[in-house]
Amino acid sequence: MDMLLIGLCLGVAGVVFVALAFGAAMHSESWNSAVQPEIPLVKAAAPARFFSERVPIAPTAPPLQVPIEVLLLQIENHVRLEQAAAESFIAFPTQALLHSKTTSPFVN
Amino acid sequence: MTHELLNGLSSAEVEQVLELGTRLIVPTATSLFRLGDPADRLFLIERGRIKLTLPMQVRGREQEIFVEERSPGQTVGWSALIPPYRFTLTATAPLFEAEVVAVPREALRQYFAANPAAGHKIALNLAVVIGHRLQLFQTMWLREMQRTVEVRSA
Repeated sequence: MDMLLIGLCLGVAGVVFVALAFGAAMHSESWNSAVQPEIPLVKAAAPARFFSERVPIAPTAPPLQVPIEVLLLQIENHVRLEQAAAESFIAFPTQALLHSKTTSPFVN
Repeated sequence: MTHELLNGLSSAEVEQVLELGTRLIVPTATSLFRLGDPADRLFLIERGRIKLTLPMQVRGREQEIFVEERSPGQTVGWSALIPPYRFTLTATAPLFEAEVVAVPREALRQYFAANPAAGHKIALNLAVVIGHRLQLFQTMWLREMQRTVEVRSA
């Protein structure tokens, strides 16, 4: 019985010692952070979405719109490229030429 | 200047047809005809370029979208020979002024009646112009359809 009580006391004393040591270490760390130079904040990486539906999706910036004049020129360029491709098909009709790719940004 | 519509005609016949028309200058950025206008003349391009456009909604606003560009020797406005005689496109001189010969439908009909051999050749040339346009846009339509199908079935 005595041995059991001695063991229990030693165990409790050990836990108290460890708790005090941990507390001292944490206090020292927080004190040190006050004198350390500021480290630029790094944005935390977005949490993985595996197995979770409740992770909010970070809002994305709206895509930059090209000016209307540029867009109209892109459309004209697309039509010209498509006409050239169609002319090639008419001159030499094959299935490959019918579905040939162009460099138009509208289809790439 | 050789006009696609007048291929195979003698030089005298070409002169006769051109004399049926009126030479017009189309100033830069000016419309030769607009979508929906009554079509009573077709135009043989002598100089410059004619841009053909159709209206389309882009970002909520109606914009003229490039469809085709025709150059000297080519013909625009053959809706003048095909019922219901309304232009189905808008034609403008985009960057520089253009010069065209505007030939009235009625004058052409009378010429065809008086010169059936020349009229036959012109009709065949017109069939080539229209047939080529049909093949071109049929091909372009199919290419767009193919892409639509690919997007929808992806």
